[in-house]
Amino acid sequence: MALRVENVARRFGETTVFEAVSVTIERGEILALIGPSGAGKSTLLRTLGLFERPEAGTVRVDQTDIWAATERERLTKRRSVGMVFQEPNLFGTTVRRNVEYGLRVRRSWRTRFRDLVPVIGNRTPPQPVVNALSLVGMEDAIETPVESLSGGEAQRVAFARAMAYDPTYLLFDEPTSDLDPRNTAVIEDAVITATRGEIGAVVATHDMHQAQRIADRVALLLDGEVVEIGPTEQLFSSPQDPRTQKFIDGELVY
Amino acid sequence: MITALLSDGYIWSIIRVSLYVSLTAIALSAVLSLPIALIVGVTEFRGKRLLNAIITTGMGFPSVVVGLLVLFAVSNQGPLGPLNLVFTPEAMILSQIVLAAPVITGISLSAIDSVDGGIRDAAYAMGGTRLDVAVVTIKEAKYGIATGILAGFGRAISEVGSVLIVGGNIVSDGSSYTRTLTTAIQLEARQGQFETALVLGAVLLVLVLSVNAIVIRLGSGGGRSR
Repeated sequence: MALRVENVARRFGETTVFEAVSVTIERGEILALIGPSGAGKSTLLRTLGLFERPEAGTVRVDQTDIWAATERERLTKRRSVGMVFQEPNLFGTTVRRNVEYGLRVRRSWRTRFRDLVPVIGNRTPPQPVVNALSLVGMEDAIETPVESLSGGEAQRVAFARAMAYDPTYLLFDEPTSDLDPRNTAVIEDAVITATRGEIGAVVATHDMHQAQRIADRVALLLDGEVVEIGPTEQLFSSPQDPRTQKFIDGELVY
Repeated sequence: MITALLSDGYIWSIIRVSLYVSLTAIALSAVLSLPIALIVGVTEFRGKRLLNAIITTGMGFPSVVVGLLVLFAVSNQGPLGPLNLVFTPEAMILSQIVLAAPVITGISLSAIDSVDGGIRDAAYAMGGTRLDVAVVTIKEAKYGIATGILAGFGRAISEVGSVLIVGGNIVSDGSSYTRTLTTAIQLEARQGQFETALVLGAVLLVLVLSVNAIVIRLGSGGGRSR
């Protein structure tokens, strides 16, 4: 069971972001995607998150070739992949409505309308919502409007929102680059806790120390090419590719 | 004097016609405008700026010209001739749709346009379908959309030119058929019936002011129940 891209290409008009990238993420592991800005980390994440169809290559979720599958199959498989962005991107409502969102879109429209009606609808917060919020220590803020959250709290809620519907794979696009050290630690711990429960995670980051702290494996992306991929320790202590050594030493300046 | 006027069926029939015409026109305009605003707002395509310019121009379209064009359309030789709509409330609804739809589309469009793309990405990433993403976008832009609808109503109920041309300002048996608040005021004033004109003017002002009050309330953030 894995999330996998094979020889995928992404082009935007004249610009080619990458030509043939292959990466596999197994369940229960954290893969850090490192590389300088503009290397194609976000584009690769969006490809893994099934946002856009790649110009070439295949994307597989648990063996299913996503872009060859039917619309219905694709939706089912897509719903096992979640994503957390650099910005929290919360909806302008309460914490609870945000974290419930993933569960809500998976319900029938009938149930969704019924739950809006105060008396007959089910108004108690579902257990997964409470659990996801306690993972990041935000369970007491459940009825808080998102406007009154700090940046760090908002990002923690965004994490809870992606966890609440029990995804199999989670993608993180620079999830802590706007955060202070304390909130960064909360998110990192939550990512580690989540993957212990069989989730496969990809964390795009330009922070090599973060990669060393949390990742099982690291992939270095340079100019749209996976230069090296391997166990975290090995990649940092004895890199096989000279470009990796240069990047680690901070000599590759872009 | 004023109470005598207000107990008069004539005044009430005018208010009724005005509200019927403008509310129906706004409901239909909204149904027409919101999908357009949503599609134009969330997609990027060649000619989007031109389309935006056309919609904005439509927001300021002179109502007499609209009346004239609608009159041509519903007249015997026009494309809608067989429907026999000349001098009916329905013809007035039609012309008010033409006047209000660009206002609703334009204001909703800019509200939808300003919803952060990241919000839509988040809805999609959480497993939302295309419809779910559209619903989230509308919810995020709801104050702007409501403002657009109310502004459209304000334009529809207070315009004179087009309803006068296509409706004909008709009264039968002392009760309004196609006479609205605005056309009635114009006529009463010209006939020197200033008291009636003033009462009708006050009613129109109260209507427009209450709509504006709602717009201002929405603009200041509004409630947080969703």
